[in-house]
Amino acid sequence: MSQTSLPQELREPMARAIRLEYWNIFWTLTIIVTMGLVLGQSETMKTAWIEDTLGLVPPVMFLIAAHMERHSHRSRRYPFGFERVNGLGFFVAAVALTAVGGLLLYNALMALGTQEHATVGSIVILGHDLWLGWLMLAAQIYSLIPPLFIGRKELPLAKQLNDKLLHTDALMNKANWLTGAAGLAGIIGLGLGWWWADSLAAAIISVDVLNDGIKALRSSTAELVDGAPRALSSTDLSQDAQKVRDRLQAEFPDATVRLRETGRLIRAEVHDTHPPSECRHPRHYWPDDEDRAWRLAQVSFIPPMEADEKS
Amino acid sequence: MMRGAAFALLLLGACDALPRDPAGTSTQIERSRIFTVALADPALRSAPQVGRLVEEIERRTKARAQWRSGSGEPLFQQLDEGRIDLVIGRFTADSPWATDVAFAPALSTSGTKDVPIELKAAMRNGENRWIMTVERASRAISQEARDQ
Repeated sequence: MSQTSLPQELREPMARAIRLEYWNIFWTLTIIVTMGLVLGQSETMKTAWIEDTLGLVPPVMFLIAAHMERHSHRSRRYPFGFERVNGLGFFVAAVALTAVGGLLLYNALMALGTQEHATVGSIVILGHDLWLGWLMLAAQIYSLIPPLFIGRKELPLAKQLNDKLLHTDALMNKANWLTGAAGLAGIIGLGLGWWWADSLAAAIISVDVLNDGIKALRSSTAELVDGAPRALSSTDLSQDAQKVRDRLQAEFPDATVRLRETGRLIRAEVHDTHPPSECRHPRHYWPDDEDRAWRLAQVSFIPPMEADEKS
Repeated sequence: MMRGAAFALLLLGACDALPRDPAGTSTQIERSRIFTVALADPALRSAPQVGRLVEEIERRTKARAQWRSGSGEPLFQQLDEGRIDLVIGRFTADSPWATDVAFAPALSTSGTKDVPIELKAAMRNGENRWIMTVERASRAISQEARDQ
């Protein structure tokens, strides 16, 4: 049995995901620096820059959680290992997204309400005066490219690892073109003399950040309070978990089946029934293909109270 | 090759088309051939850099400067309301007005190292084309402005 909480068959995809997240951090840093150099007074640029900076939170949390899952051994103090660190990381990322999304939306609405006119002046490049807005547009276009490729690569790994943190990051990266388009429209609108375009684009971007945060918060708190396992991409119940429940219920029809999730693993409790006479590994109860059987880490049986049995 | 050149020309044309002013300061100056200037400190009227800056803006806009009297805070209020196009004065580098008006690069700096005082022009926030015109004029007449 593995002394760490990461199932053996996930070691290779986990190593690939870790390499990808280091690349993710590298490209995100290049975007943060590029955008930071041309921020100016534009609300759109400030909001997009903060969103890009926030983009570091999921990969950093993923790397911390992955390190603990792979290298920290079970001990007397942590007998179940660190499989829930990923869930904790997911929660931290969700809180950060929600809080900053709310703050950015407030700022954008205030700027709209007070009719703030953003100043975007000029800069000298190779002896030529250039409107800073052109550089902002170039930076915005650059910021669209790396997340698109990284998001595409993250998605299959997130599904293979059943990793919500990685999955949220992948979706955020894939959807980045939407906020990028809003950002581009905001700067072009500002250039056309529409003062409201800048704050409106900032508001649209912040609503997207807030939406990502709230979805992640709902899913991550469900895990922390031992809710039934949730799907990777939504707050709906996980299909894997539904099948496990049906499988257990079919064999133990009078029992009450309770499922919860610890990180990427499912744990099942079968109440009011006796365990089967033969010795079975939890994976025996996995209803589908063997490849994903690692998800079912525990099946415990809680027999009925003696008084109940007599009656 | 021809297509590339045409695209480059189109891009250059677009470069000049933006930015525009939300309140139309540049268009108004172009139409009336007049822009209004005030000095935050009347004593600055004799400063050579102030005269050169105003002349440079006149040359670039083909408009004439119309001087307005006044001083201090009320001028910024008038600038914010669009009743004055330009205020020139000596301001601290971290002026509290920095978020309410747009400053052009400093023409010259005096004062101490800890509290530098900059001679510079202030424009109405968000009037980006007009701001660019004044920034360009400031750089054209001052090495210090070019170095910023």
